[in-house]
Amino acid sequence: MENIDLDTLTAEQINFMLILHSGNARSKIIQALREYREGNVEESDNLLIQAEEDLKASHEIHFKMIQKEASGERVEFALLLMHAEDHLMSTLTMKELVRELLDIFKQKNL
Amino acid sequence: MKRILLACSAGMSTSLLVTKMEQHVASINEDAKIWAVGQDQARKEMANADVVLIGPQMSFLKGDLQKEANKYGIKVDVIDMMAYGLADGKKAYEQAVKLMGE
Repeated sequence: MENIDLDTLTAEQINFMLILHSGNARSKIIQALREYREGNVEESDNLLIQAEEDLKASHEIHFKMIQKEASGERVEFALLLMHAEDHLMSTLTMKELVRELLDIFKQKNL
Repeated sequence: MKRILLACSAGMSTSLLVTKMEQHVASINEDAKIWAVGQDQARKEMANADVVLIGPQMSFLKGDLQKEANKYGIKVDVIDMMAYGLADGKKAYEQAVKLMGE
C-alpha cells in the first residue's frame, strides 16, 4: 500500500487514500480505548502508535497536495476532498483527545 | 440477485464506490443491488442484504455488526484496503461475491 506513487493516482483515488488512512487510524484509536478498558494496556499503547502511523500517512498525502497547490499547480476541488479532509482533521482531534484521556487514566490508576 | 450493502461513517465515500461497483457489474452483464448507508443505518439495512462491506473507518464495529448479521446468516467484512484506497469497484465486488459464497 505504501509503495503507491501518488502521481499515478486520479484525484478521486487520492481522496480515497486520505480517507483510508484516516479511517484505519480512527478504528485503531477506538480500539485502543476498548483494549485499555479491558486492561490490555500494552495493546492499547500499540494501537495508538499504529494509529499515529496511519495518520502520518494521511497527513503526508495532504501535505503533498498543499505543496502542489502552493507551487501554482491546481488541485481539483471536490466535495469528496472536503469529506476526506474532514476525516483527517476529526481523526487527528480524536487521537489527541484519546492520548490525553489515556494519560489521565494511567495517572489515576483507572 | 445479489444484494450488497456498503456502510461507512457518513455513507459518502462508499456511495462513490457503489457507482464504481455498479459500473463493473454492468460491464460483466450481471445483476446486483448495491447501496450505501451511514454507520447508524447499517444495522437496520442489513436485513435486506446478502452481504455487508464496511469502510475502514468503522472496522472497529465489525464484531458488533457481525453479531447482528448472524441473525440474517450473512457476513460482514471490512472493504479490502487496496480496493478501497483505489476506489476499485471490480475488486470490491469480487470481495463481496466471495464473502457470499463462504
